[in-house]
Amino acid sequence: MNLAAFPWLTFIILFPIFASLLIPILPDREGKTVRWYALVIGLVDFAAIVYAFYTQYDVHNSGMQLVESYDWVPSLGLKWSVGVDGLAMPLVILTGFVTTLAILAAWPVTFKPRLFYFLMLAMYGGQIAVFAVQDMLVFFLAWELELIPVYLLLAIWGGKKRLYAATKFILYTAGGSLFILVAALAMAFYGDKVTFDMQELAAKSYPIAFQLLIYAGFLIAYGVKLPIIPLHTWLPDAHGEATAPVHMLLAGILLKMGGYALVRMNLEMLPAAHVYFGPILVVLGVVNIIYAALTSFAQRNLKRKIAYSSISHMGFVLIGLGSFTDLGLSGAVLQMVSHGLIGASLFFLVGATYDRTHTLILEEMGGLGQRMKKIFAMWTTCSLASLALPGMSGFVAELMVFVGFATSPAYSNTFKAVVVLLAAVGVILTPIYLLSNLRQLFYGPENQDLVTHQNLVDAEPREVFIIACLLVPIIGVGLYPNLLTQIYDAKTMQVTTLLQASVARGTPAAPLGLVYTAPPLAAAETLAKPA
Amino acid sequence: MEAIYQYAWLIPVLPLVGALVVGCGLVSFPEATNRLRQLNAVLIISLLGVSTALSFALLASQVQGHLPYRQMLEWATAGDFHLQMGFEVDPLAALMLVVVTTVALLVMIYTDGYMAEDPGYVRFYAYLSLFSSSMLGLVLSPNMVQVYVFWELVGMCSYLLIGFWYDRPAAAEACQKAFVVNRVGDFGLLLGILGLYWSTGSFEFDLTGARLADLVHAGDLSGLIAAGLAVLVFLGPVAKSAQFPLHVWLPDAMEGPTPISALIHAATMVAAGVFLIARMFPLFSSIPLAMEVIAWTGAFTAFLGATIAITQNDIKKGLAYSTMSQLGYMVMAMGAGAYSAGLFHLVTHAYFKAMLFLGSGAVIHGMEAVVGHNPASQDMRLMGGLRRYMPKTAFTFLIGVLAISGIPPLAGFWSKDEILGATYGASPWLWLVGWGTAGITAFYMFRMYFTTFEGKFRGDDTRLQAQVNQELGIHSHGDHHGHSHGHPHEAPWTMTLPLLILAVPSTLLGLVGTPFANYFEELIHTPGLESAAAEFEWSEFLTMAGSSVGIVLLGITLAVSMYLSRRLDPAAIAAKVPFLYRLSLRKWYFDELYDSLFVRNSRRLARQVLNLDARVVDGLVNLTGLVTLLTGQGLKYLENGRAQFYALIVFGMVLGFVVLSAVT
Repeated sequence: MNLAAFPWLTFIILFPIFASLLIPILPDREGKTVRWYALVIGLVDFAAIVYAFYTQYDVHNSGMQLVESYDWVPSLGLKWSVGVDGLAMPLVILTGFVTTLAILAAWPVTFKPRLFYFLMLAMYGGQIAVFAVQDMLVFFLAWELELIPVYLLLAIWGGKKRLYAATKFILYTAGGSLFILVAALAMAFYGDKVTFDMQELAAKSYPIAFQLLIYAGFLIAYGVKLPIIPLHTWLPDAHGEATAPVHMLLAGILLKMGGYALVRMNLEMLPAAHVYFGPILVVLGVVNIIYAALTSFAQRNLKRKIAYSSISHMGFVLIGLGSFTDLGLSGAVLQMVSHGLIGASLFFLVGATYDRTHTLILEEMGGLGQRMKKIFAMWTTCSLASLALPGMSGFVAELMVFVGFATSPAYSNTFKAVVVLLAAVGVILTPIYLLSNLRQLFYGPENQDLVTHQNLVDAEPREVFIIACLLVPIIGVGLYPNLLTQIYDAKTMQVTTLLQASVARGTPAAPLGLVYTAPPLAAAETLAKPA
Repeated sequence: MEAIYQYAWLIPVLPLVGALVVGCGLVSFPEATNRLRQLNAVLIISLLGVSTALSFALLASQVQGHLPYRQMLEWATAGDFHLQMGFEVDPLAALMLVVVTTVALLVMIYTDGYMAEDPGYVRFYAYLSLFSSSMLGLVLSPNMVQVYVFWELVGMCSYLLIGFWYDRPAAAEACQKAFVVNRVGDFGLLLGILGLYWSTGSFEFDLTGARLADLVHAGDLSGLIAAGLAVLVFLGPVAKSAQFPLHVWLPDAMEGPTPISALIHAATMVAAGVFLIARMFPLFSSIPLAMEVIAWTGAFTAFLGATIAITQNDIKKGLAYSTMSQLGYMVMAMGAGAYSAGLFHLVTHAYFKAMLFLGSGAVIHGMEAVVGHNPASQDMRLMGGLRRYMPKTAFTFLIGVLAISGIPPLAGFWSKDEILGATYGASPWLWLVGWGTAGITAFYMFRMYFTTFEGKFRGDDTRLQAQVNQELGIHSHGDHHGHSHGHPHEAPWTMTLPLLILAVPSTLLGLVGTPFANYFEELIHTPGLESAAAEFEWSEFLTMAGSSVGIVLLGITLAVSMYLSRRLDPAAIAAKVPFLYRLSLRKWYFDELYDSLFVRNSRRLARQVLNLDARVVDGLVNLTGLVTLLTGQGLKYLENGRAQFYALIVFGMVLGFVVLSAVT
């Protein structure tokens, strides 16, 4: 068999989905077969991902690889086309990795296990599809498709306010995705050729006003997902109600879809508009960092606290995207992967803690460290990773964003100084909320009420294994970032070259000139069309 | 000789391996690992022993004049940005390696005795080894980013070790405070590094300094910005070396077990700030304003620490303020341009302060037999006359006290005198502060020695005990470890041996840096300058030395009359100047000030933002656009259990749209 010709990506996407369809007919006692089945499917798919990329993917190539394209609805020009580049590939691996671990994390689920694992496997394929498809309309379908399992997972297995949270989640994200649809259609029908192919869409030249509108539409849709303040309020609710495995997926992968799509569409397809929106992204990023860190500090509910910390960390992605430098963009991608791992581990630990204490209110805990030594150790390690301790991936990502932004040629020095200063305040705020969280959970005397009513057993090997798996790449990348950055370096360089070219076409103009050297609207309109 | 340089990376890696092996054992097989107890300790100590031997070999080679050696590795790349990591061995690094490994090794041996009864014995060794590894990595760092990496890692180890007894609320708060205050310093350091990279395009110590000076000279960069960057970088050392205004974490850090107070919070980590200033010396020395700031920060901290140390009753807190004060001396020396004097004091102080802390640990260990395992065992009011029970500890402690006070020919005299001499050349006012502080130092150190080791033993005075317990909030008849009402006893040999070994450098080390034969400065001299062996004049030396010994003797006399012969009543003096007494006792009210300024306000701000988020932002966004209708009226409908239905509608609409488009 010719391995190079094998449709790897299609297989990787469809295998878990088709496998999930078999779940209803599996012979099963008490849901124990189903979870093994799901785990094996997850592992096989992950192995396929790793194998395919290991043998077929060339890291020096910045273009699309493992490309497949089949006509789907020819009358519409709709194609099933998939491919990965340096941007998508790490995220596909992350998805396979985190989803497989989430299946393992879902081991104790006993309520409707068939439906649960069915949805998990459907999610598996759907998530990868979002990162791999190269057709705008199929992208939109995959984006919507992956909402439904999440919605059901929230609404059926969630906490007390699960219906409110699930509804809010679906309304926000579905509402946001309407903008994707409208913008995608507008782009597809613009010009003389109707196409949904992303590369062809990127090659079209749009007038600047059109670009700005489309950009804003995408920004709202992806801003809900990432999330960007003030579109974030669904997240604490959804995260506050989700169970640990769903949580891991939400924080580990779904948030990254927002960041991925921002690069794929806003930066790559609309570089001229990005010149105007770049500083806005940066400012929003700073707001994310500080605002969410403060809310996290004040939050008394453990899940919501960690949920806000996710929002805060996504701020660095935004600053990196707005930096117009290799280093900043590279840092943004690294931050996505890194937070995918760290966020997943923290949320898993939140779930593990809740399984024992049956409360999420910090005041009702305390002194847990005396009975749950391993969980204490894992919490400490993951919290340190989250507060960007050197030696772990979060630090490298933040450092790259900082250095990238500070050396950005596009912005004025004053703007850079203010942004770096404010973003660095996050460096102080993050340990405040994470360490005070640790203190309230584990330090001090035991909470007698809790000790008498709950059985506080220490971590079982399965839990240690999951955290260990997540820590290996976190520490590996932290110790030697080139492991990961070289995978996508060619890609980020290509995107940055594109962006810097669009910045260079203009001359300083008021009032944006105060912030940086952006072209005036009229000038950009003529220049936006490549010669 | 090349071979040992190629394997220099083993120095930090070996302790890391030890920590990893023991740490993995603790997580995977906690019972078995804890049962092996001393085997773990032996493993970790022997690995560090190899590092120590390597360090000595490197120092010997550097003393013989081997050129600095550097090995680099491409660490992170993005486009044309390349960041390298690696290690560099030069005289300063080799010297620091020896200081860190020797103190760490002795502290580890000591730990076996001190932590013998503690259930966290093995975990403590793992942390100690992890710390040693990070600290050694810091010392070998060739550029600013790597320094920052290890800078944070030693901070993390400090956090873990301060919070070692995590069931104690005081330890829990202290470790968090230490980390957050240090992060404030790191915030400055990070901004400084970024700013320097922005302006000079380099993370190298010497390049940034030289290029920044060129930029300012050529007028491309305002001198004020350059000074601002230098001060931002200096914020890192301010926090790490417990300088005013970020000194507040160090005294609280004494909640950790005593061996780490000796290793981390006296000898090595806190000195990292001074080390960093030394590494960045080319940068600082080209900016007079920054040097001024550094010098006066150090001088003020030296004075502040000394004045607070006078009234402390907790033996470890007293030593902590003394550490802060001594670090102030080093920073002041750096600011005054006395590069090698500052580093010389760093080295001598590392040995005698480690010895003093370990001595205080032996005292606490002995006192626990009397008052139980609680903070009262650190209270000097309950001590006294301990020399009879623990002669070895008392002897070494006295050597430490003499050394820190600056009595010739002990180590502290030479280094402190060199600093005072150099600052006099820079600014007589600085010298005056340092000189006065020397007197206060002698006073409080002898007060500490007399109340602990001389006079009558007060630990069996039940009335006094009750008073102290009440003050410290200890329930004396609770189910704590109980009062054994035994006698204080001398520590086991694993604890006294390190004390005796440390007494040797505390006594003799000063002789390598005497003004008439300064071998130290030949090895460690200002970067860029050849050893500037200043003309040595007996008359000048005798005036300087005479004046500082004079004020030291004055301090000692005062301490003798107040705490040994009791001719002066300390309480009466305190009553005469109640304001000054309370100012010192309450640590100049810094904790209260910061609490009301920063802690409360940040909490309030956070609560307000959360309220804003829950009430305004959430509400506004919910109310906007189409979503309003669906949440407002739709929720009732949706919560009837038909929510899934909606999801299907969305999906159906999308599918329908595609099909529709396909047909037309």
